Amino acid sequence: MGEPAIHADCLSKTYNGAVTALRGLSFDVVQGEVFGFLGPNGAGKTTTVKLLNGLLKPSSGSCSVMGLSPSIHSSEIHKICGVMTESAKMYGNMTGMENLEFFARMYGVEPGKAKARAESLLKCMDLWDARGRELHAYSTGMAQRLSLARALINDPKVLLLDEPTNGLDPESANAVNSMIASLACKEGVTVFLCTHQLRYAQDICRRYGIIEKGTLLACGDLETLARNAQFCPKAAMRLPDGEQLENFERGNDGWWRADIKEDDDMPRLLKKLVEEGHHVYEARIVRPSIEDIYFRYVQINRGEEWH
Amino acid sequence: MALKKLSVPEEAVIRKDFHDIWDSKMARSTLITVSLMLVIAIPVIFLIIIVNTPANQINGADKLMKMLPPSAQNFNLKQATFYIMTNSLFPMFFLMIPLMSSSVTAACSFVGEREHGTLETLLLTPMKPKQLFGAKVKGCVMLSAVITAISFAAFAIVTSVGDILLHLPFFFSWSWLVLILLFAPAVTVLGVMFMVLASAKSKSYVEAVQTSGYIVIPLILLFLGEFVGLFALNAVVFLIISAVIIVLDVIIGEIAARSFRMEKLLK
Repeated sequence: MGEPAIHADCLSKTYNGAVTALRGLSFDVVQGEVFGFLGPNGAGKTTTVKLLNGLLKPSSGSCSVMGLSPSIHSSEIHKICGVMTESAKMYGNMTGMENLEFFARMYGVEPGKAKARAESLLKCMDLWDARGRELHAYSTGMAQRLSLARALINDPKVLLLDEPTNGLDPESANAVNSMIASLACKEGVTVFLCTHQLRYAQDICRRYGIIEKGTLLACGDLETLARNAQFCPKAAMRLPDGEQLENFERGNDGWWRADIKEDDDMPRLLKKLVEEGHHVYEARIVRPSIEDIYFRYVQINRGEEWH
Repeated sequence: MALKKLSVPEEAVIRKDFHDIWDSKMARSTLITVSLMLVIAIPVIFLIIIVNTPANQINGADKLMKMLPPSAQNFNLKQATFYIMTNSLFPMFFLMIPLMSSSVTAACSFVGEREHGTLETLLLTPMKPKQLFGAKVKGCVMLSAVITAISFAAFAIVTSVGDILLHLPFFFSWSWLVLILLFAPAVTVLGVMFMVLASAKSKSYVEAVQTSGYIVIPLILLFLGEFVGLFALNAVVFLIISAVIIVLDVIIGEIAARSFRMEKLLK
C-alpha cells in the first residue's frame, strides 16, 4: 500500500456535545485510488467530508489530507482539494460560465486563464451549450455537473465527493462516473466518494468503507470485505430444463447455485458434474456484489439474522 | 482603481457582491429610493415650503431664532429656518444614508450568502475566513462610500440652490467637514459590523435589514436631543462622537471577525 492521501485516526464528531455523528473512524485512502464511502443518509458521510476539508473540527481523533491537518491547514488543503457536497451551492443569478470563472479566480487564477479553464470544464461536462444560461435555469443534473466542474477548477490532487450522482439520470450518472474513474486512472487523482448508490460505486471504486450511524463497519477491497463477512463465491450452472442438481439451489433465473470455498473448487466441481452425465450449458463463478456485502454488514451490525 | 490594489480572490468577491446587490431588486430599490428621498426629495420639499410660506405663518419662530448661533443672528425667519434645517435636520437625514447603505449591502453580502447556501462553497476555496470577511467588509464599505458621496453631491446641489434662493452663505461648514470625513465613514463601518453580527441570527435578507432598524435609533435620539435643546451639535461634538464610533467599530469589528469562523458560519 502506498502513501495515504487521506488518513483518519479515531475520528469522532459530536455536535453541541449531544449528537454523535462519528465514532472513532480510522481508515486510509491510498493516492490515486477511488475509495467508496458507503452508507445510508445520516450515516456520517457528509460530516466526514467536512472534517477532511476543515469546515468542521473533530471532537476527538485526527485526520490528514496529503499529510496536512485540516484543522490547521484548511486553506492549503483547499488549494489541492476539490470538494463537492450537496450543501455547497453555486450562484443562481450567475451563468454557468460566470460561476466557474468566479471560482477559478477564488483560487487566484488570472482572468484570462480562469476563462480558459472554465471553458474546458464546461465542454468536458457537456454544459457548453448552457454556458450562457443562469444557474437557476439549469436542471438538477446540469447543476450537479456544474458543481463537479467547480470542484475540478483547481486541478485537484484529491477529490472529496458527496453523492455526486444524486439526482442524475442514468446516462449523466454514467458520464460522471466515467470522468471520476478517468481522473483517478489517468491523472492520479485520489477520490473519496460518498454515495448510497452502491451499483455505481462498484463500477469505479477500488476499496470501500461501510459506515452506519457514525460507525465504520468495515473497510477494504471487495474481496477482503466479502471474506470478512463470510461470503463465499458461488458456482452457478445452467442446465437443460428438467435436469436437477443435488446440493444446489435453483434461482428464479433458472440457474443452479452452490457455495464454493475458493475459485479452485470450480474446475473440480464442473468435471464432477460432467462425469455424472449432466449437460452443463454454461458455468460461472458468482461473486458477491458490493450491494450484497453492504447489506450483510448492516445486518450484522443491527444484530439481524441473515441467510 | 481601488480594486487594483486587491488580490485576485478579494477582487472577485467584491465584484461578485456588487453584482449580487445590483441584481437584488429589493436592495437596489432601497438604496436608490431612500437616498433620493433623504437628500433630494425631503430637502426640496422643505425648501419649497420655506420659500413659498409667508414669514408670519411659520410656526415656532421664536424657538427657531433662539437655536441660531451668534454668527447667524442677523438672518430673517426664512433664512433662519433653512439654516437650521441645513445644520440640524439634514445632517441626520444625510447620516442615515451611510447607515442604510452599509446595512443593506452587508445584509445582501453576508446574509445573502447564507440564505442561498453559497457561503459553504466560498469557504471551500483557499481564501481564509478572515480574508473573506475582510474582502466582504471592504466591498460593503466601498459601495456605501460611493453611494454616500453621490448622495452628498446631490444634497450639496439642492442645498446650494436653497442658499442662493434665500441669499444665505454657502452651507458647508466645519461640522459638515467632520460629518463627511469622519462621522459618515465611521457610521458606514458600524453599519457593516452590526449587520455581520446580526447576520448570525438572521435567517433572511429581509429579517437582517429589519434588525438594522435598531441602529438608526441612537442617531435619531442624537439629533432629537439637539432639536429639543438638550445640547448643541457642532464640529467638536461631531468629532468626539466620531471618535467614539470609531472605537466601537474596532471593538465590534474584532468581535465580528472572531465570530466569522467556519464551524459557526455553517451552523
